[in-house]
Amino acid sequence: MKHRIIVFLALALSTSLALGDEFTQEDLKRWRAEFNKVMEKGEKLFHSPLGSNHVSCDQCHPNGANTHPETYPKFQKQLGKVATLREMINWCLKNPLEGEPLTLDSDEMIALEAYITWERRGVPLAPGKH
Amino acid sequence: MKIRCFITLISIAVPLAADEVKLPDSQDLLGLPPVPVPADNPLTLEKARLGRKLFEDKRFSADGTISCAHCHKPELAFQDGLPVSEGIGDQKGTRNAPTVINAAYFITQFWDGRRKTLEVQSKDPFVNPIEHGLKDHKPIVDIVRGNRDYQQRFRQAFGLEPSQITIDHVAQAIASFERTVVAGDSHFDRYQFGGDKNALSASAIRGLAIFHGKGRCASCHVIEGSTALFTDNRFHNLGVGFDRIEARLAEIIAAFRKAKQANRDIDKTILTQAEISELGRFAVTGELEDIGRFKTPTLRNIALTAPYMHDGSLKTLEEVVDFYDRGGFDNPMLDSGIRPLHLTAEEKADLVSFLKSLTSQRFTTIGVQP
Amino acid sequence: MSIDRRTFLKHLGAAGAAATLPFSLVKVAWGMGSKPAEHESFTFAYISDSHLTHIKGSRFTSNFDRGLRKAVMEVNLLDPPPDFVIYGGDLAQLGKREELDHGLELLSGLRPPLKWVIGEHDFYLDMGDYWQNKIIPLYYSFDHKGVHFVVLNSILTYENWIGQWPTPMERMLNMARLDNPQGSPFMVGEAQLRWLEKDLAKYNDSIPIVVLSHSPLYKIFKPWNFWTDDAEKVQKLLRRFSRVTVLHGHVHQVLYNQIDNITFYAMMATSWPWPYPVSYVQKPNQVPQLTVFMNRADPFHSRDGTGWDILDMDSGAITNHYQLWMNENRTVTFDFKLKHPVDLKYQDPDKRIPPQLHY
Repeated sequence: MKHRIIVFLALALSTSLALGDEFTQEDLKRWRAEFNKVMEKGEKLFHSPLGSNHVSCDQCHPNGANTHPETYPKFQKQLGKVATLREMINWCLKNPLEGEPLTLDSDEMIALEAYITWERRGVPLAPGKH
Repeated sequence: MKIRCFITLISIAVPLAADEVKLPDSQDLLGLPPVPVPADNPLTLEKARLGRKLFEDKRFSADGTISCAHCHKPELAFQDGLPVSEGIGDQKGTRNAPTVINAAYFITQFWDGRRKTLEVQSKDPFVNPIEHGLKDHKPIVDIVRGNRDYQQRFRQAFGLEPSQITIDHVAQAIASFERTVVAGDSHFDRYQFGGDKNALSASAIRGLAIFHGKGRCASCHVIEGSTALFTDNRFHNLGVGFDRIEARLAEIIAAFRKAKQANRDIDKTILTQAEISELGRFAVTGELEDIGRFKTPTLRNIALTAPYMHDGSLKTLEEVVDFYDRGGFDNPMLDSGIRPLHLTAEEKADLVSFLKSLTSQRFTTIGVQP
Repeated sequence: MSIDRRTFLKHLGAAGAAATLPFSLVKVAWGMGSKPAEHESFTFAYISDSHLTHIKGSRFTSNFDRGLRKAVMEVNLLDPPPDFVIYGGDLAQLGKREELDHGLELLSGLRPPLKWVIGEHDFYLDMGDYWQNKIIPLYYSFDHKGVHFVVLNSILTYENWIGQWPTPMERMLNMARLDNPQGSPFMVGEAQLRWLEKDLAKYNDSIPIVVLSHSPLYKIFKPWNFWTDDAEKVQKLLRRFSRVTVLHGHVHQVLYNQIDNITFYAMMATSWPWPYPVSYVQKPNQVPQLTVFMNRADPFHSRDGTGWDILDMDSGAITNHYQLWMNENRTVTFDFKLKHPVDLKYQDPDKRIPPQLHY
């Protein structure tokens, strides 16, 4: 009896170890689609006037150019401290766009970050670079 | 009890004696980078003490009444508390006397940056007709060469024989003194860089956040991670005084260009002609976009240096905050960083609290109490 | 044929030496075609790309109003005054009458005479109707002190793209968005090419030519329409002249190039700076290697990266004094020995400063 329990336990453990880390091509496709959905939402936001003065992010940053997401965190001159991309997005919303900031973990903020980093894909990380 | 405190206050409010000149220590410099010292004028205590004596010498004027300290009074945070300074014969100039405190950190001197160094700046007022009124520097050089005490000090500080002393040595000594008139170590510095979270009131803490955020102050009045100069060393047009020249701008500029071609000295022109003075940095560079631009002053010890702006037209910090809240004085050359801020009354009060927290411990007991 | 890297590097030493010589001492060396005809030197100003944006009623985006106001004030203070001022296009953001009228009002304060070039933001709401009826024809030419100026409408595009949009505003919005994946490349088009050929026929090869267009008449970066599809055809018509300069707007940045006998200068925008195409790594670019980039802007200062231009015309070539607000001005001049434009201070790569390199 004991012997059978041990074998059963051993089997159960080994099967759960095998299932824990597995993901399939289908999963990858599905999760990539989830990301794309959020990234596309970010693209829409990026190209909309998010503040009060009819200015949109893409006017100064076509295709997210010159946002340098790969350099964060870094000392951000406009914030006077070492800051993250999201804090700088909020700075832009408040200042050039004369609007309201987003909460740092809001859906919109995540979407913007997804779009901005997507347009900069492939560029190596360079944290701290001005 | 009250009287004793009063007496104590008086005794501290007296100008530091010449031998109380000291090189700033690390506590004094909390929040500041090391004092910039040029390679050709290394800083020594002897030079600084000599500079202090020169700074206060009234004989360096046409009628023996004006020293540097006349407009830069040590007991008034090294300025004179007037909208514009009054020099020899009570003549009114066109500009508000900047404080000497922390002037060593500027890349250029004067409101329009027309001089690059403390040394060169110090020579100009002596020969300005409405400041010290001398025709040239010769009387100063004669005095320092002929006076026993000065002879000894110049020998000690520079290794010079009397006949070798020039006005440039005088300037170097004065600049050296000014390089000791530096201080950070305010309540703000202790909070921000000294780790003392109790050093600022709740109102001042809110004011600091506004300074960085809604107030849009920090881009020009710079605060960084480890130090805060409160100046970007650049020139900006806020519109202060611009209404005095806007209507006749073309005419005034034409007059200025004519004076320049006739080689008139800028230093004298600016202080004697109010309208040309309002041209600001333009009078130095000739660049059109510099019209009406003036140097960002430091905000350190700002509570002690009223009134404010290059013409002293704003009397209190509250007026200054209101001015910025309105978006300055609108004009086509207005700096693009200036815009209406829409601050609430509480936010304005918090900002003022913050500004008052920028008084250095070293200078807290002199001048106007915050 | 654009300057390739090896040739450019070979001339580095010469460029450095030439750049320090006063302009008048640089030897004039004619290699291509005949020497340009003698003409009187003169100066003119260029204001461009104001993108005035209507919000509601009488409210416009103040940032862009301010840029144009500042340019107008500064041009009026030039002494001596310029012979004339060119408005380089994109006066309006969405081509609305409110925006064009507002721009006309702001520019009415200019003292020197004004000449106009249309931009796509002015054109695509009503296909240039208001512009040509109220301001000036869409393309034309004029002579000034022995120099022939040609103004082109270089922001036309393919008929089927124009025709697909359900409303004028949708058409305008799709042309307004710089990085629009559904955009359409600019062109001068056959009609103008024929007109241009006829117009130029009256002038012999030695007459200095200046072409004013909104889009660059060469190919820089198609994704952002820093591009003119039939650029080579325009350049071919200009090839026989000894000295040709193209002045254009649209790119909102310091940009200059030399293609055979044609010098290209981009004019500054008064509204906002664009990044250089090198900073969008997903697509290849042909940003001219000759260009020393302007300083990367600090977005706190809305006027950083904006400005206008003072242009000196002399011996058939143009010196461009970039009036860069919030920045040190840049002077780019035609070097007669090297036969291409050089920045008088920064052309030598060793002289570059960090703000020019951080894109």
